[in-house]
Amino acid sequence: MKPSTKAVLWVLWIIGAVVGGAGVFNRFATGHADANYGSYIVWGLWVSAYIYYIGLSAGAFLLSSLIYVFGVKRLERVGKMALLVAIITLCMALLSIFFDLGREWRAYRVMTSPNFSSMMGWMVWLYTAYFLLLVAELWFALRPDLARWAARTDWRGAVGRLIARTNGPLSKAQEEDAHGWLRWLGTFGVPLAFTFHGGVGALLGTVEARSYWHTPLMPILFLVGALLSGGALMTFAVAAFWPNRDEAWRGTVRLLGKVVLGLIAFDLLLEWAEISIPLWYGVGHEADLMRRVLFGEYWYAFWIVHLLIGAVIPVCLLLFRGRSPFAVGLAGFLVVCTFLAVRLNMVVPGLVDPNLHELQNAFTDHRLVFYYFPSFFEVQVTLAMVAMGCAMFYLGYKFLPLTDERRTA
Amino acid sequence: TASKLSGRPGDSDPTGPQTIRDIPEMSTVPKGEQADPLVRMQEELRRALAKPVEQRRWIMVIDTRKCVGCHACTVACIAENKLPPGVVYRPVLQTEIGTYPNLAMRFTPRPCMQCDKPPCVPVCPVKATWKRPDGITAVDYDKCIGCGYCITACPYNARTRDLGENYTDGTPALQPYEQTPNYEYGKAWSRTTHDSPVGNARKCQFCVHRLDQGLLPQCVTTCIARANYFGDANDPDALVNEKAASPNAMRLLEEKGTKPSVVYLT
Amino acid sequence: MKPTSSASPVSRRSFLGNGAFLGGAFAALLKANEEEVFGANGGTAPRILNNGRPDVPYDLNDAENIVYSVCMNCNTGCGIKAKIHNGVLTKIDGSAYNPWALFPHLPMSTAPHEAARVDGALCPKGQAGLQNLYDPYRIRKVLKRAGKRGENKWLTIDFDKAVTEIVEGGKLFANVPGEENRHVEGLRSLMALRDDKVAKEMAADVKAIWDEKDATKKKDLVAAFKTKHAAHLDKLIDPEHPDFGPRNNQFTMSWGRLKGGRDWFMKRFGSAFGTTNLHGHTTVCQGSLYFTCKAISEQYLGGSFADGKKFYWQSDLENARFVLFVGANLFEGNYGPTNRTVRLTENLANGQTKIAVVDPRFSKLASKAWKWLPIKPGEDGALAMAVIRWMLEHERFDRKFLANANKAAATASGELSWTNATWLVKLDAKTAEPGPFVRAAEVGLATPEKRTDTTEKGPVEYEEKFLLVMKDGKPVAFDPKDTRNAVTGDLFVDTALADGTKVKSGLQILKEAAFEKTVEEWCQIAGLESADVVAVARELTSHGKRASVDIHRGVSQHTNGFYNVFAWMTVNMLLGNYDWKGGMSAASTYGFDGAKGGPFDLTKTPGKITPFGISLIRHDVDYSKTTIFAGYPAKRNWYPLASDVYEEIIPSIGEAYPYPIKALFFYMGSPCYALPAGHTNIEVLADVNKLPLFFTSDVTVGTTSMYADYIFPDLTFLERWEFHGSHPNMTVKVQPVRQPVVGPIPETCKVFGQEAPICFESLLMALGEKLGLKAFGKNAIGEGLDLVRPEDFYLRAVADIAAGEKPEMADAVPDAGEKEIELFLKARRHLPKTVFDAARWKSLVGDKLWPKVVYVLNRGGRFQEHARAYKGDQLGNPYGKLLCLYQEKTAKNRYAGTGRHYSGIARYLPQADYSGAPLDKLAAGGELQMITHRTITATKSRTIGNYWLRPIMPENSILVSARDATRLGLQDGDKVKVTSATNPEGVWDLRNGTKKPMVGTVKVTQGIRPGVTSFALGWGHWATGATDITVDGQVIKGDPRRASGVHANAAMWTDPSLRHNTCLLDPVGGSVSFYDTAVKLVKV
Ligand SMILES: Nc1nc2c(c(=O)[nH]1)N[C@H]1C(S)=C(S)[C@@H](COP(=O)(O)OP(=O)(O)OC[C@H]3O[C@@H](n4cnc5c(=O)[nH]c(N)nc54)[C@H](O)[C@@H]3O)O[C@H]1N2
Ligand SMILES: Nc1nc2c(c(=O)[nH]1)N[C@H]1C(S)=C(S)[C@@H](COP(=O)(O)OP(=O)(O)OC[C@H]3O[C@@H](n4cnc5c(=O)[nH]c(N)nc54)[C@H](O)[C@@H]3O)O[C@H]1N2
Ligand code: SF4
Ligand code: SF4
Ligand code: SF4
Ligand code: SF4
Ligand code: SF4
Ligand SMILES: [Mo]
Repeated sequence: MKPSTKAVLWVLWIIGAVVGGAGVFNRFATGHADANYGSYIVWGLWVSAYIYYIGLSAGAFLLSSLIYVFGVKRLERVGKMALLVAIITLCMALLSIFFDLGREWRAYRVMTSPNFSSMMGWMVWLYTAYFLLLVAELWFALRPDLARWAARTDWRGAVGRLIARTNGPLSKAQEEDAHGWLRWLGTFGVPLAFTFHGGVGALLGTVEARSYWHTPLMPILFLVGALLSGGALMTFAVAAFWPNRDEAWRGTVRLLGKVVLGLIAFDLLLEWAEISIPLWYGVGHEADLMRRVLFGEYWYAFWIVHLLIGAVIPVCLLLFRGRSPFAVGLAGFLVVCTFLAVRLNMVVPGLVDPNLHELQNAFTDHRLVFYYFPSFFEVQVTLAMVAMGCAMFYLGYKFLPLTDERRTA
Repeated sequence: TASKLSGRPGDSDPTGPQTIRDIPEMSTVPKGEQADPLVRMQEELRRALAKPVEQRRWIMVIDTRKCVGCHACTVACIAENKLPPGVVYRPVLQTEIGTYPNLAMRFTPRPCMQCDKPPCVPVCPVKATWKRPDGITAVDYDKCIGCGYCITACPYNARTRDLGENYTDGTPALQPYEQTPNYEYGKAWSRTTHDSPVGNARKCQFCVHRLDQGLLPQCVTTCIARANYFGDANDPDALVNEKAASPNAMRLLEEKGTKPSVVYLT
Repeated sequence: MKPTSSASPVSRRSFLGNGAFLGGAFAALLKANEEEVFGANGGTAPRILNNGRPDVPYDLNDAENIVYSVCMNCNTGCGIKAKIHNGVLTKIDGSAYNPWALFPHLPMSTAPHEAARVDGALCPKGQAGLQNLYDPYRIRKVLKRAGKRGENKWLTIDFDKAVTEIVEGGKLFANVPGEENRHVEGLRSLMALRDDKVAKEMAADVKAIWDEKDATKKKDLVAAFKTKHAAHLDKLIDPEHPDFGPRNNQFTMSWGRLKGGRDWFMKRFGSAFGTTNLHGHTTVCQGSLYFTCKAISEQYLGGSFADGKKFYWQSDLENARFVLFVGANLFEGNYGPTNRTVRLTENLANGQTKIAVVDPRFSKLASKAWKWLPIKPGEDGALAMAVIRWMLEHERFDRKFLANANKAAATASGELSWTNATWLVKLDAKTAEPGPFVRAAEVGLATPEKRTDTTEKGPVEYEEKFLLVMKDGKPVAFDPKDTRNAVTGDLFVDTALADGTKVKSGLQILKEAAFEKTVEEWCQIAGLESADVVAVARELTSHGKRASVDIHRGVSQHTNGFYNVFAWMTVNMLLGNYDWKGGMSAASTYGFDGAKGGPFDLTKTPGKITPFGISLIRHDVDYSKTTIFAGYPAKRNWYPLASDVYEEIIPSIGEAYPYPIKALFFYMGSPCYALPAGHTNIEVLADVNKLPLFFTSDVTVGTTSMYADYIFPDLTFLERWEFHGSHPNMTVKVQPVRQPVVGPIPETCKVFGQEAPICFESLLMALGEKLGLKAFGKNAIGEGLDLVRPEDFYLRAVADIAAGEKPEMADAVPDAGEKEIELFLKARRHLPKTVFDAARWKSLVGDKLWPKVVYVLNRGGRFQEHARAYKGDQLGNPYGKLLCLYQEKTAKNRYAGTGRHYSGIARYLPQADYSGAPLDKLAAGGELQMITHRTITATKSRTIGNYWLRPIMPENSILVSARDATRLGLQDGDKVKVTSATNPEGVWDLRNGTKKPMVGTVKVTQGIRPGVTSFALGWGHWATGATDITVDGQVIKGDPRRASGVHANAAMWTDPSLRHNTCLLDPVGGSVSFYDTAVKLVKV
């Protein structure tokens, strides 16, 4: 990376961290006062971001499982990075939802007072399991490399000894063992990732009260979305941050690009179903909602942000510049960045139109409106999550043998 | 009513003989046909409270032909339950029908329906909300984590989110009327400490703290049109049942299958 | 987490260190109010929820935590129970003892601890009422102007100092640039005439001047006056015009909402000061409704008409079968939502009652109506004429009732009241215009008799000349007051008497007025389908006496208001429904001043200086008799039939007509906000040359008080005393008592050595003390009866209410038992000594009356039992007097604008300005006729700080019919500026370079007559907490929520014939015109 680029990135990160940090401070100092969600639009940017991050996590994880479970060798080199990204985005997700809770310090009660009928409960338990699994898997994935570091006297040695819990390289058997664990964990993780992310979809989909959400397609849509956004993120990460810019890297990026292209196509197909079915005859509540999404006040979120920047341009890039890692990386970047809009367009429209229409004018204050646009404060906190994620990634990238080629190269 | 959906933690609801309330008769208050229905219905509460909680089932009838859309119920509820900005238990919906000069107006006050099949209950990840034996859907603010899921699940938007604000925020001084605790569920919930109910999902609870004292819900007592009837569905002699059994009775969003305990006369 | 919210006020408190505002008043209170206050139900099983948190007792319905009082968030005055928790008013509900809040109300015999358990109803404003008490923008100290008038720069100032400055005058504003050398004349100097004997003599001499018809002789009388009173001429405003009265008149006391008790203080001060200028706000409210009914209720006394009551009638909804509501907004406003709605909705639902509504706007009331008649605003008179014509044509009126010519006839036919419909009216020999009633003795049909009559002003000796009816074609002389010889007359008479005098019966004259146009033509004027009108008329005449017309502001607040009201009240006379169940009812109250009996006679004012002279608003006097008569038109209007002409007060000061005013005190009114074209008032108030001294009593820095030199804080209705009185629709006899429910928010002051809250009464008493007025202080109420604290009056007045009006206390309330007295004390345990002192209170009324006083206060007033509201099919508290279907007194007076006689009969008049000219010129360029209305959550100035009400209607809107919206290219949500011919800029000119544009949000609706636009009252404030002000150099930030919405009164037309300094007005009844302006909505 050019020093100038680096400097720019650093400056951006610092700005993000400072502005975002101020938001987080504000969240602790004044609670939800400066947020724009309220009683009717009860979920806003943070919940959307949560779903978005969790999708990234699931996507990244599933990508990693292609390697560890299904043994897709061509992608093997990105495995550890994918796992790390999965953990980081999961952390971002959990923090986002933590901030959204009204009484966040009681979140533990989901464990101590479980309600087995609650889709949200299931989701929490599942991602808790998933989190543990991710940590374990990453440990096993990194352990051989870390163990190799352990003997060194520099900081790498310290990191290696600390995490790998050994003083020297692992034996072949031990490495095999780790590999085995990886496969097992991954195998267990795949359905887990499927269920919990499908579960996030179901969390919305099961709510009969919100006809916009209440579609059986919801879990599938979420899964595909997760794969797409997670895949795109990995594509971008690999394209941008991989240290050895060699042919193998180019091959990996190209492959990832193809995967992303396929997923975009599949995602669009599902979206077509989602949109065209209620809209076909144009009658009914859902049609109205859909029209509002497509042609309402925030039409640009769908057409410009999602469709144009998040789909059409990436597809063009992938189709016509698919061999250029830069173009593929850019495509991934665009997909990732714009996917938050897709999530917002999923969460918020479900809430904007009450079943009892006249509620819109019955009793209105800034919390009792069926209108939502994220406040600066909400953006700040979201930014803080991104900054935190970047920092974690940077630390991992810097201090963990993520891209250590020795074993795979 | 303790359906599979209820998710009801039995230990939250006192039941049995200890829930019988002996409300003294108001001997100097004239009753009978001529009395204000508020007097009659308050008298009927005594009968209901003489039974243990599991033998009562509270219902409300709102006669929209009588309702004049004054919002007194909305405000009385806010005042009684010290609701902050963003929280409302009983907004009144106003519908204008027709074109000039053939017009009509309909007013629909919307408390919590205290559904017999409440979709808001099973969604709660921490069992902080449940259906009480007397039919009221309760929230334990001390348990609720404020995730908002139940809020999305109520088809009537009857749940709102207490985000800790005050009506007099930003004025020269916060005022005592929103600093005094409210009495929901017979407990003191103070906002000054920013403890629950701040951060929680909040909803109409049929003024169960007043019912427990033999007092009618505040939205019923303040209604300038006497459009509200309230009482025990299990008491055949209660005025509310007389009203509920009308050919013009309907419930809101019946198609959602929630089986509301609030009946509208149209 | 948000910091504990108790932390935030701390910082704010410090910025309000001066303590002028409410900030900080609760520091101690709040601390104490945490959970510790609740005695937790330690140990016992949880009652409702078992979650580890202790239960707390719900004690809000315990009698010992309740003080009964009266709401005044609007003037309806519903009975309230104030629920107090640890000294904080935490909840307000309707009082079960009070007929407004419970129907029927609990009898007074109900034990207080049981009544405490029954919560009655209240409208949303009543529920939010405590937000007036606890309003962060309340003032606690006296504010003195530190900048130009209206600049909103203030200094807090010691109460005593402020009072001294006002009394003594001086260079009071030397610190204000431009006023360094302005000497302000104080009240002491204005109170020039202090000798009542002189005042009385002068008054008599002025009357003689007025009664002299010959102009030269009048001049001589003036000269004689000057000689006779040479020693006192310096005490007159203008010796050339002795009928301007003393310089005392240059102090004007005015008010908006003044209720019983406080009116006693106001009038007491006025008469002790000797000013004739005490003027209220009636004409902005519904003046012509009051003054037409006053004219209808004039009684034949002393040979002419006197003793008309300023009051009106409304329908008894409880028993009505059909009601035609005209311009009455029951569910959203009126007197009022709480009491009237409950008496109507059940009857509507069960089919007993049917209603029709005449209103250009589809009101909530209209939504329950069988028929809605969206009338063209201002044409109610035409509609009434259509109905009258139809009734007369179809013989659908109460012949029997109308035939009764005197009380005896009424009694004989089972009626309680009667009309003069059959009395013969003399027609002018030349013009054939109806004039006075024929006096039988003058046409040789009776011999005059010397008699004495007692009027309110005392006994009058006169010559009874008898009146005349035609009975079966033969003239019959009769005595209208005769209770033994029943006289009935022919209804329609148009003939000449034997001596050639042309006469008509009143009903005949009415018929001719109604027959000037066909029903069809009348309906065309009113903009209605005649088929609808006829259907309504048929229904109205199908229920006997249980049908009525109930009218309110929509009828009266027009330039033709007086005659609109007259016409509809005439319809009620045709129905014969007065004093009948389901018909017209009038208010009935227990007196508090002992005028009609009671232990304390509170009617006397020691040291009274008999006021005389023309009042600033020129009321109750005949222009042509005065020394400033200069032909027609007069410079400004004169009001022989009306009083409390709000729109005249400040513009008359501005024009110094009839004379300049030096000092103005304003209490609880905001003419700048309330009046149509109220900005014209700002222009005068902001000018220290036009009005040298201006002080007010207010609870916040209000939209008018912001122009004052001094603002004295006041107690809100929840901290003070008053006797709220009743409204015509209330059929039981009542006297609701307002009493302090919590301690005062304002600081205290010392008056007569007593510590009391700074408030209206303290202010007047302090001024009285400083001026040395005998009406206040030691022995002011009577020998040994001091008036040194507000309670000194109020407690004795309550004793009068409790004792009743009958001798020997035959009508007294029972004694409160010992337990009740204990309860009384306990329920007031939170009150500070500055407002509650049990021992002193008891000593004020004596041991014997004390238990009765407690009995009344424990119930928030005195209320007759519901059963006694009716006797058979009639009202138990009837009006029971003559109703003037033809008004002699009215007919004798003239329009000051034209010199023409007023009509003595109901008739249709088109809208006109003061000079009588039509309004077409103003209308040019206007697109929509603007009206205004109430909405249930708002009153003028008191609800804007009721934050609980804000979300129901955060801002008002400008209603535009869907048709007009298309025509004018307007859409829902458009921001538009309201402009008109007399305010093309569409702004409130607040002076000092500030202009507030009248910009509102369009709401497109089906629910308004096309061509009409309306806005709800209560938004668009420029003070009352809406804007930043500076106190002691610190800025107190306004609350944008309180500035929301639009108040379009400034767009309402000003009168071109009054130099555009006054709104359009009804020259007879005094009403201002609220509904006759054409506006243009300009998109912004
Ligand atoms: N557009 C429009 N304008 C209207 C009407 C309408 O329908 N539409 N209606 C009219 C009618 S009916 C009326 S009655 C008038 C009323 O008009 P006003 O009698 O002038 O009354 P408000 O405008 O309410 O003024 C009340 C003033 O008193 C102050 N105040 C409030 N409470 C207290 C208190 O407890 N003590 C003291 N000392 N001061 C207090 C307020 O701050 C405010 O300055 O408004 C009229 N104006
Ligand atoms: N919410 C609330 N209630 C109040 C008050 C308040 O401020 N707020 N104030 C109290 C006071 S002071 C008063 S005086 C009363 C007033 O009580 P009302 O007079 O009953 O109330 P308004 O809304 O002023 O009534 C005017 C009605 O007349 C209609 N109208 C307008 N122009 C015309 C017309 O030309 N012809 C006819 N037929 N109708 C017309 C309006 O649309 C409106 O519905 O309310 C009292 N109650
Ligand atoms: S109305 Fe809503 S909150 Fe109330 S019980 Fe039904 S679903 Fe739950
Ligand atoms: S907001 Fe509270 S009550 Fe509602 S689902 Fe979440 S935890 Fe349960
Ligand atoms: S029953 Fe009680 S809590 Fe429910 S809406 Fe009525 S007043 Fe509010
Ligand atoms: S208080 Fe009664 S009349 Fe008013 S809105 Fe509520 S239900 Fe309707
Ligand atoms: S109508 Fe409402 S605001 Fe007016 S006095 Fe009654 S309760 Fe108070
Ligand atoms: Mo009024």
